[in-house]
Amino acid sequence: MREFTSTARGVAWRSIHLTVTNPAFLLPAVIFPLIFYIAFAGGLSSVGNVPGFEYPAGYDTFQFGFVLLQASAFGGVFSGFGIAADFERGFARRYFLAAAHREAILVGYWLGALGRATLTAGLLTIVALVTGMRPLSSPLQGVELALLAALVCTAAMLFACGVAMRLKTVQAGPAMQMPVFLALFLAPVFVPLNLVAGWVHSVASVNPITALMDGARDLLAGEHVAAGLVYGTAAAMVAVFGIWALRGLRSAERTGA
Amino acid sequence: MSSSSPGIEVDDLQRSFKDVLAVDGISFAIEPGEIFGFLGPNGAGKSTTVLMLTTLLPPSGGRASVAGFDVSRQGAEVRRHIGAALQEAALDPLLTGREHMRLQAALQALPKATRGARADELLERVGLTDAADRRVGGYSGGMKRRLDLALALVHEPEILFLDEPTTGLDPQSRADLWDEVSRLAREQGVTVFLTTQYLEEADQLADRIAIINQGKIVAEGTPDALKGEIGRPSLEVVPAVAADRDRLAAVLEEFGPPTAAPPGAAAVRLEAGADGLAQVVRRLDAESIGLETFDLHAPTLDDVFLAKTGERMSGDDGVAVAGAAA
Repeated sequence: MREFTSTARGVAWRSIHLTVTNPAFLLPAVIFPLIFYIAFAGGLSSVGNVPGFEYPAGYDTFQFGFVLLQASAFGGVFSGFGIAADFERGFARRYFLAAAHREAILVGYWLGALGRATLTAGLLTIVALVTGMRPLSSPLQGVELALLAALVCTAAMLFACGVAMRLKTVQAGPAMQMPVFLALFLAPVFVPLNLVAGWVHSVASVNPITALMDGARDLLAGEHVAAGLVYGTAAAMVAVFGIWALRGLRSAERTGA
Repeated sequence: MSSSSPGIEVDDLQRSFKDVLAVDGISFAIEPGEIFGFLGPNGAGKSTTVLMLTTLLPPSGGRASVAGFDVSRQGAEVRRHIGAALQEAALDPLLTGREHMRLQAALQALPKATRGARADELLERVGLTDAADRRVGGYSGGMKRRLDLALALVHEPEILFLDEPTTGLDPQSRADLWDEVSRLAREQGVTVFLTTQYLEEADQLADRIAIINQGKIVAEGTPDALKGEIGRPSLEVVPAVAADRDRLAAVLEEFGPPTAAPPGAAAVRLEAGADGLAQVVRRLDAESIGLETFDLHAPTLDDVFLAKTGERMSGDDGVAVAGAAA
């Protein structure tokens, strides 16, 4: 067990260390969510006045729910980019050679993704609060929101990791990013589901991300959350993509790191 | 580190990539504390063998045990007992040398209390103390190799795999690395599996050598024993007049079988050894064949390679070239 945790912490340390010591890694991870938030919450604030839009915490808070989950998901996807780069540059070989338990490498990448996502989400929250967001959630609901964001980050990271470990090249970037991007934007991003029309409404109604986004917004509004649906969906995604990532690891072992 | 633990045992090991059989049923055994040279040209199967023995690539067939553990079924145990510096040093250009040591110590689960001292000791041993806090992206090729070697030694492995560790290094860096590898084996009893395409490196460092070509081991033994199999020296002569080359070759063949020679030259393995030289000179003089160069070569590992494969390992690029072997 000590071996496992030490290896995982080593992998996580490198991920986080590289992010915080290199502006080229840090700035995109931080700036993009901020720009999304400012653009969506600020630029589209009059959407909150549309008849039928009934969200008690205001449009800023409504958009924050989306941007937080989006930043968490993309934080996970960026980890996949890092894993693919490690394979392409041969650094993954060091991990595969040194780690007695190679599952610890996955855990390390996951911890790294969570660390980076925490940094981004923290900064996003501070900026949102400073610029006028007024959530109605209780402290406990704040913790539940953080847990939800962590689960989304985890699911996205595991999905991207599975792709990276199979394809082992940064050229696999679109294969990691595009599905997550589509899943996020085919959920009710700008208005609640009841105001979404046409085929997007049909897709959003069955998109599991919709449940997560609704859950995040309910938590921010201090309202009752369908916890079973929200956390059950998130946990199911983590489980499915966890198996996908583990099988990716086995694939990488079979074909050589 | 211990020299009493089992070394490496390989039995009918195979690895194929689609239709290509990269390693074709090789077998050998390496004693603890031995430096084993694995010699062959590019594409012979050396690195594929290392990848299998270090658990980075599963074999397609056969079996291998490292430090007493099966590479296919006991990968975690194997990895605990080995260190490896592979052909392209897996280093992160954005981390410093010291940060690499810290990371490696964590990956190998070294106790936290010993990590700093171990890193300092190894960095000093490979001469990187002054550069330890610089990013590796600014290191020279030799410095990267030395750091890679230090990283492979962090957890005091019993068995060390070095895959072409001196490729691309200047002569001084190469000599330094040879010294360190020798010291590890002699003083600390580390078993060293060394692949190289440099004949001189294998000759100088290895206690025993296996020569691999096209996925098969074609010779195995101590360098002296292998050269002893060849036994006799070779004579390579370039005529002063190019048109005399065929006549020259005919005369030389009276003294032994022809061997590979560069264009315009003729070469034979002297049946009578160096003692036959005087006779050769007299015969050439009698035939009035003028000479540009007249070189006697003691048997080398290249001669062994030639004798076993019909090819020579050429110069620095390690590419086997067809030769006119007898």
